Amino acid sequence: MSTFTLQIRVAQTDGSLERILSVTRRRRFELVQLSVTAADDGASFDVELTARAERPALALVRQLEKLEDVAEVTVADGAAELAGARAS
Amino acid sequence: MKGAQFLVKALEHEGVDVIFGYPGGAIMPVYDALIDSRIRHVLVRHEQAAALAADGYSRASGKVGVCMATSGPGATNLVTGIANAYMDSIPMVAITGQVPSNLMGTDAFQEVDIFGITLPVVKHSFIVNSSKDLARIVHEAFRIARSGRPGPVLIDLPKDIANTVSDYSIHHSDASEAAPAPRPEAIAQATALLKASIRPVIYAGGGVGLANAIDDFRDFVAATRIPVVATLKGLGVIPAKHELFLGMMGMHGMKAANHAVQNSDLLICIGARFDDRATGRLNAFAPHAKVIHLDVDPAEVGKLRHVDAAVLGDLKQSLKALSFALPIDDWRRDCITTKESTAWDYNAPGSEIYAPAFLRQLSERAGDNSIVACDVGQHQMWVAQHFRVNRPSQHLSSGGLGTMGYGLPAAIGAQFACPDATVINVSGDGSIMMNLQELATLRRYELPIKVVLIDNHALGMVRQWQELFHDRRYSEVDLSDNPDFTKVAESMGVPAFRVEHRSDVPAAIERLVTEPGPALAHVLIHQEANVWPIVGPGKSNSEMMDEVSS
Repeated sequence: MSTFTLQIRVAQTDGSLERILSVTRRRRFELVQLSVTAADDGASFDVELTARAERPALALVRQLEKLEDVAEVTVADGAAELAGARAS
Repeated sequence: MKGAQFLVKALEHEGVDVIFGYPGGAIMPVYDALIDSRIRHVLVRHEQAAALAADGYSRASGKVGVCMATSGPGATNLVTGIANAYMDSIPMVAITGQVPSNLMGTDAFQEVDIFGITLPVVKHSFIVNSSKDLARIVHEAFRIARSGRPGPVLIDLPKDIANTVSDYSIHHSDASEAAPAPRPEAIAQATALLKASIRPVIYAGGGVGLANAIDDFRDFVAATRIPVVATLKGLGVIPAKHELFLGMMGMHGMKAANHAVQNSDLLICIGARFDDRATGRLNAFAPHAKVIHLDVDPAEVGKLRHVDAAVLGDLKQSLKALSFALPIDDWRRDCITTKESTAWDYNAPGSEIYAPAFLRQLSERAGDNSIVACDVGQHQMWVAQHFRVNRPSQHLSSGGLGTMGYGLPAAIGAQFACPDATVINVSGDGSIMMNLQELATLRRYELPIKVVLIDNHALGMVRQWQELFHDRRYSEVDLSDNPDFTKVAESMGVPAFRVEHRSDVPAAIERLVTEPGPALAHVLIHQEANVWPIVGPGKSNSEMMDEVSS
C-alpha cells in the first residue's frame, strides 16, 4: 500500500472535478485528502489529491492524464516511485 | 437559425449521413430540423438499439456513429450502448435532449442527469449551457470521439438552447489529431528484444483496426513471419486462412493459439489490453515471455502485465520500424504443426445440427463480402472460432461489455454503413429477446439482414458454466417456453423458417443467403451443446478443458 499526492490542473467545466473523483474511485484508489482552489487563470482549478492503493500510483496518473479537461498532473509526493516509470 | 437547426447543419459538416434514434419531448426541435436535412434518420424501436446500431455502423464503416434520444428514459435507455462503445473503444457521438435550462435540477418531467449517469462510460461529455458554445461543442465531440483511443462522447442539449435563435457559424479547427511518432529509444528496445527472441508470438487486438493499421500490420507479419494470435476484437487483422494465423486466444481460444502464447519467449502485444478473457490466470499467462507493447494509450502499458518495451504512439510508424526478418524457422514450424494437428474436426457424431459446422458452412457460403454481428453467449464464441473473418470490420462482437442484444441492432448499423454487404446477425434464444423488437426495423427499411437464431432452449453459456463449474446445479437458465420465433418474425414482416436436422443445413443456408430481403433461420441445437475448449475460472490458459477431458 503506497500513499502519494498529485497536483492536478483541470479546467473549470461541467463535471471536471467529478471525473477526477470518479476515476480515482473506479480505479480502486482510496481518497485520503482533497483540496481544490480556483487557479489564477480564472478558468482552471488546482487540485491537490492524496490517495493510497495497492496499485502503482502511475496507474492513476495515466488515467487522469487521459481526461480531456485535465491539463497537467504532477506528483508532489511519491515522486521517487514514479520517476523511472514516467520516462517510458 | 435555431440551435437545433444549427446542430443538424454541424452534424452534416462533420460528415454524418445516418443517425439512429427515437424522438420525444425534449429532443423534438432537433427532429423538426431533421426534416430539412440530408441526414438519414433511422427510427429504431428502443433507444438501446439506437446506440448499439450506431456502434455497429461505426465498426463497419470506420466513421463516427451517431445516436439520439430524448431526455429521461430515452437517455437512460442509451446507456448500455454507450457503455458498450466505451469498453470497445468505438467512436460515437450520443445526443440527448434535456429539459429546458430553467427546469434542470427541479425534477422536471423526464428530467434525468444523463451527464452524471454516463460519466464513467464516456470518453468525454458536454452539457450545452449556452447557445454560443454549441458550435464548438459539436466539433469537439467529433474530434474527441475519433482521436487517440476512440470512444463515445455525449452531448446533452437542453430544449431551450435547441430553440434559441442566434447567428451560429460552423466551428473550424484542425480536426485531425495525429498520434505522436514512437520514440526512437522505444523502437531500439523493441528491436533488441525481437532480435534476441527465438519463440516470438504476435498478440493482436482491436487497436490494430481502430488505428486503421491493417495493411501495416500485415506488412509487419510478412516481414517478420512471426506467428499471430488474436483477441476477440482482433479477429480479421490477418486473413483467417493465413498460414501464420493460429486463431483466437484465451478462454475459448484455439489450442494452437494458447499453446504458442504459453510457450513463447516474447509477446508482441499490439493494440490489446491483457483482458482477463484473453489471459486467463494473469500470473500464469505467457510465463516465459518478455513483452513488447504497442499502443496509443499509455494507461494500458503495464496496467496488468509488466512490459519490457513500451512503444507508444502511431501504430503504423511503429510497425514499419519493426518490420524485419527474423531467424525463427523452427519455432514457426512448431506453431504451424501444432495448428495442423489440433485443427477442428467438423464431423461430429449424430444427426443434430452441430453449430460449429453450421457456422463454418455459413461463413464459406456468405463469402468475403459478408459482415457478421453476434450477440453474446455460446453462439458468439462459436462465431469467433469458426466464422472465417478476413478483416476486423467484418466481425462485430461486443467484446468488453458483453452486451446480450447487441447483434441485431449492430447488424442494422452495419447494413446502413455497407448497403451492398451480406449482413448476418448470429444470435441465441436468450440474446435475441433483448432487442427482438428491431425485427420491425428490418422490415421498415427493407434491410436484407439474415438472422441466424441458434436455439438451445437455454441460456447456454450460463448453463454450460453451471454444468462444468457449479456441479450441474442449474439456476434460471431454462428457456423451454420460448415463443415460436418463426411466428414472431413473420408477425413483424420477416420471413422465417426452422432448421432442425443436420441434413437440412446446406439447403437452409442457401435459402437464407439468397432471400432477397430480411430473413430469419431458427436453428435448433441440442440443449447441452457446449463451447470447447474452455479455460475454467481462475485457471491458466495452459489448462484448457475440452469435451474429452471434461
